[in-house]
Amino acid sequence: MIHTIRVKTSRGPDIQGEGVLHDIRSVLKINSIQKVETASVYRLEGISKLQAKKLAEILFCEKINQAYSLNKPFAKKSSTVFEVGYKPGVMNPQVTSIIKSARDLGINITTADTSIEYEFHGQAKKQEVKEILEKLHLLNDTIQHIVMEEPKTLLTKGTAGKTTIIPIRKMNNSELLALSKDKLFLNLDELHIVKKYFVKIKRNPTDCELETIAQAWSEHCVHKTFKANLIIDGKKKKPLIQRIKEEALKHNKNIVSAFVDNSGVMDFYDGFAICGKVETHNSPSAIEPYGGAMTGSGGVFRDVLGTGLGAKCIASTDIFCFAHPNMNPSLLPNGCLPPDYLLKRVVAGVRDYGNRVGIPTNNGSVHFHNDFRAKPTVVVGAYGILPKKKAKKGRPKIGDVIVCVGGKTGRDGIHGATFSSGEMTEKTSSINSSAVQIGNAIEEKGMFDAILEAQRQNCIRAIQDCGAGGFSSAIGEIGQSQGVSVYLDKVSLKYKGLAPWEIWVSESQERMILAIPFKNLKQFLNICKLFNVQASILGKFDGSKKLQVYFRKKSVCNLDMKFLHHGLPQRIMRAKKNTSDEPIQSPRRWPDGLLRGKLISENEWIAVLERVLSHGNIASKEQIARLYDHSVGGTNDLQSYSGEELDSPNDAVVIRPILNKEFGMVISHGLNPVLNAIDPYWGSIWASAEALANYTAVGGDYKNASLINNYIWPFPDEESLWSLDKSVDAVVDIMKKLKIPVISGKDSLSSTYRGKDGAVIKIPPVLCMSVFGKIPNTSKTITSDFKKENSSFVLVGKMDFSRMGGSIYYETQEIRHGEVPHVDLEILPKTLTRIYRGIVQGKILSCHDISEGGLITALFEMCIGGGMGATIHLRGGRMDSSEVNHPEAFLFNETAGCFIVEVEHESTAKNLFTDVPFLMLGKTTKEKLITVQRNNRKMFSADVALLKKVWQEPMKKLFP
Amino acid sequence: MTIVKMKTKPKVLVLKADGINRDEELAFSFEISGGDAKIVHINDLRNGREKLKNYHILALPGGFAYGDDIASGKILAVELTSFFTEELKQFISRKDTAVLGVCNGFQTLVRTGILPFRNIGKMDAILTNNDSGRFECRWVPVKVEKNSRCVFLENMPDEIMHYPVAHGEGKFFAEPEVLQKIEREHLVAFRYTDKHGDPTLTYPNNPNGSINAIMGVTDKTGSVLGLMPHPECFTRREQHPNWRRMPSLKPQGLPLFKNIIDYVKKA
Repeated sequence: MIHTIRVKTSRGPDIQGEGVLHDIRSVLKINSIQKVETASVYRLEGISKLQAKKLAEILFCEKINQAYSLNKPFAKKSSTVFEVGYKPGVMNPQVTSIIKSARDLGINITTADTSIEYEFHGQAKKQEVKEILEKLHLLNDTIQHIVMEEPKTLLTKGTAGKTTIIPIRKMNNSELLALSKDKLFLNLDELHIVKKYFVKIKRNPTDCELETIAQAWSEHCVHKTFKANLIIDGKKKKPLIQRIKEEALKHNKNIVSAFVDNSGVMDFYDGFAICGKVETHNSPSAIEPYGGAMTGSGGVFRDVLGTGLGAKCIASTDIFCFAHPNMNPSLLPNGCLPPDYLLKRVVAGVRDYGNRVGIPTNNGSVHFHNDFRAKPTVVVGAYGILPKKKAKKGRPKIGDVIVCVGGKTGRDGIHGATFSSGEMTEKTSSINSSAVQIGNAIEEKGMFDAILEAQRQNCIRAIQDCGAGGFSSAIGEIGQSQGVSVYLDKVSLKYKGLAPWEIWVSESQERMILAIPFKNLKQFLNICKLFNVQASILGKFDGSKKLQVYFRKKSVCNLDMKFLHHGLPQRIMRAKKNTSDEPIQSPRRWPDGLLRGKLISENEWIAVLERVLSHGNIASKEQIARLYDHSVGGTNDLQSYSGEELDSPNDAVVIRPILNKEFGMVISHGLNPVLNAIDPYWGSIWASAEALANYTAVGGDYKNASLINNYIWPFPDEESLWSLDKSVDAVVDIMKKLKIPVISGKDSLSSTYRGKDGAVIKIPPVLCMSVFGKIPNTSKTITSDFKKENSSFVLVGKMDFSRMGGSIYYETQEIRHGEVPHVDLEILPKTLTRIYRGIVQGKILSCHDISEGGLITALFEMCIGGGMGATIHLRGGRMDSSEVNHPEAFLFNETAGCFIVEVEHESTAKNLFTDVPFLMLGKTTKEKLITVQRNNRKMFSADVALLKKVWQEPMKKLFP
Repeated sequence: MTIVKMKTKPKVLVLKADGINRDEELAFSFEISGGDAKIVHINDLRNGREKLKNYHILALPGGFAYGDDIASGKILAVELTSFFTEELKQFISRKDTAVLGVCNGFQTLVRTGILPFRNIGKMDAILTNNDSGRFECRWVPVKVEKNSRCVFLENMPDEIMHYPVAHGEGKFFAEPEVLQKIEREHLVAFRYTDKHGDPTLTYPNNPNGSINAIMGVTDKTGSVLGLMPHPECFTRREQHPNWRRMPSLKPQGLPLFKNIIDYVKKA
């Protein structure tokens, strides 16, 4: 029998209920609901009523401000009640805690479940209330359901599914394609290779074998496009990955390991190395943003943990691209979730995972463009530290034991790898709902602690994270050189009823695969026990060079490792420039629509500036940053927001991973999808220069930095592959000119949406460039806020004033053409070097890089932090004639790799910037006004506090 | 009962359990203040490999013990009261011991009943959802309570200090009569303040809506302290967001740890 305990707030505000009521009134504009109450519902199976009562009183209900009911509803007849719970089979992280705590109290529960009850008071009918639930997304059909009647049991029953033989040897083309559709995501050529293999070995495959091949050959896991030989506009080119690697390995001064492990590793100080990995989690986040973002964080943290013989994760970053939150809802394709909901829920997922696992979320950004409406981009970065002598990927030996550590295996997340390699269609959210998982950060944290302890005690031979593709991928990879025997009945399952292939490819979260030498096994298992971490011995490395998987003594998979990992032939892919688009409106320097230095009134100038500052890309993201724990660990030596009122943004992360040592790590990133859509080469140069400028602006030394490149692109048809190729060219050129390597990266080439009506939506391609590296002393770093009144501020670097394409200024003025700014790659390294030296020498008081919104935006952000104002003097005959002729271009141009720098005296700037262009802009003022003078006549003077309000408003609305 | 002889460094047990994630910086803060800190998993206390009585200071760090499922610190509090009631009673009754609970540790101490009235197994107050309804990470102005019974506040400045908060369930709440007793017995150790240094109920300076602006609470002996902000994340000056603007800034969390160490050393 099940006992049901309901707990609600009896004193003080029911915060959750009030929040729902607020949304009903302010978002849905419905006034028929007077009050919303919520209750937590706990269902307990396998105990007596008396025991349930004891638990209610000691564990579930705190009588100071709560009341409970046992086996009867709270609700009155006049109200409408909906109970929202997880669907059977979706992991509910609370259950483990409930069972544990009851056991601590001497009560053994068989199993438990929890849900939330919403009680609506008012005139609304049941159907109306249900619509409220749906419109406010209090119910996500993918993972939740409305509990209609009291369940009879909470146990998920089932008998193990069977293994099916697939008669692939006899299949014709259409049968092969039918087999692949919505499941294997392999193309016809690949299916024929599979067919040929089984014809050769004279038998048909099992479902488990086909799933294994599909997973191993998925774009997500094998990066077919990046490895392909290319023919671009009729000319042969080397594969993308080869070009990146060849250039990167020329700059190997700091490389410890690149392109071979779960993250890229570089040298640090005192016998340590640092590592970084950046991942995307776009497809799951599009259909279940909360769970998707959580598992995105969980996955990339495990990538860091699974580096070398185990690295400690010390920082994370989050970068999102969505449609504008205020986009006209009619533009939203069927089957897609609205952008404001996606943003809020992705942020909530990042918050709840990162905060709980105790890894600071130090840095991030949000970008808006309506072509992200069908497929958002969710990028998560994680960074770690480990002893240098344990930083190389381990190699299992024959006789080593395969141990799975962490969470149990369920049906959640099946087909994640193959699913994320497919394009999104209207059907995506219903067919692939099992691809979504809910993370359990606490389980992950325990696993981290156990594995790092095992690393310290030298127990581990090799380690592999269990991410996309589940065991199939993790064991397939770690066992590649030796061969393995795996026994699936040893896997600890969440519930019965899984077929062997499902166990094999399940992407249940919070699991790692380790190779443990037999002599260390007992010691290792004891460590796991101490940290309450489950460990299962799944098999051994046997030297067979085969992937042999058994279930109840029957073979369910027996494949040659060689075929699995090298059977897929290198592709030849063609690309060409799309010539149907209008050519870029150039070389005409000043397109129509620009103010062209027209005499407009002061108020008009301020209005132009306010439109830029309130654009989603530029608006303050402090409301989001405050939801993330960025202080945990005590390592953070440069907070994301600082200044007089702690609300001015900084450019990068500075952390001190070892608290009693001065040396530190700097992390930054840059991207600009809009520029990439216009010009993938210069857009990608811009993203890289922006990342490096952010890195340098705080005092980072780019010469001791490494790059991580992530390509989030539409499906690689000829046109998109062409732009991808250009982007890779740009990244290679950046490495060449700056003499630093890319040491990690990832591609995600499926951001195309196909609607039933033939509508195709491609995202603006995203190159996200991340930079991380080392500095000898974190106390030689600076923030962006102005430090002194009446000091001088200087523009440093080579601005490309005439190119304004893709700028926020153009977008707000509805100008839709123009070339994107070109960064001068000869001058960039010199500029970065001068800025770094000036900061280390203590001569630069504050520094901010020029980015979206141009120099006036950077200046504004420096003023708010400083609690002061600034006056700019535009004069003729200096760096560029645009300064006086086109002040709007001067103020709003977005050339990356340039800086505004505060120095006490003009002479300091002259001494510092001997070999790079610089321009004295003006002086800081006590008066909190931003004033622009043109040939000594005032163009405008804007109140910093009023501008700040406009700049903070958009995110305050979304995250009140 | 055996009392450990004080060597040069007091021994600090930093308690670890599933989901606790601020143990390292707490241990670091005790170490740089002259303590000998060890992070000990609760399972090692349960299996007897470690004994609470061998330590002088029990420190409960921040984090999300057991996911903060049901309520923050609840599952850990139930575990402590189920298995360690006697050991805890003996430990806190010793004259040479101190207990510190930070954030999740404070929530746990309140849910065990140790704070504010040492009623192990009975809750007299709660830390509940922030009035804002959300987790928030930022720096807040705070002030030491004059006349507080807490014995760790000696020589702490009588001026506004800044500590970081990072929590979603930090609102201190109790029945009026309980609250009166807390005030009457001077059990408040710190309060959230406005810019003039006066206690404030107003968001955002009072980040969670705590009644009487209560930020930290002690017990009748003054040797048990719980607080929501993180003094352990301000034991180096570079942790402050504006250290670059404030040349003479000193880490304002450090004196608290030094005082705790000094207290058990002197005892």
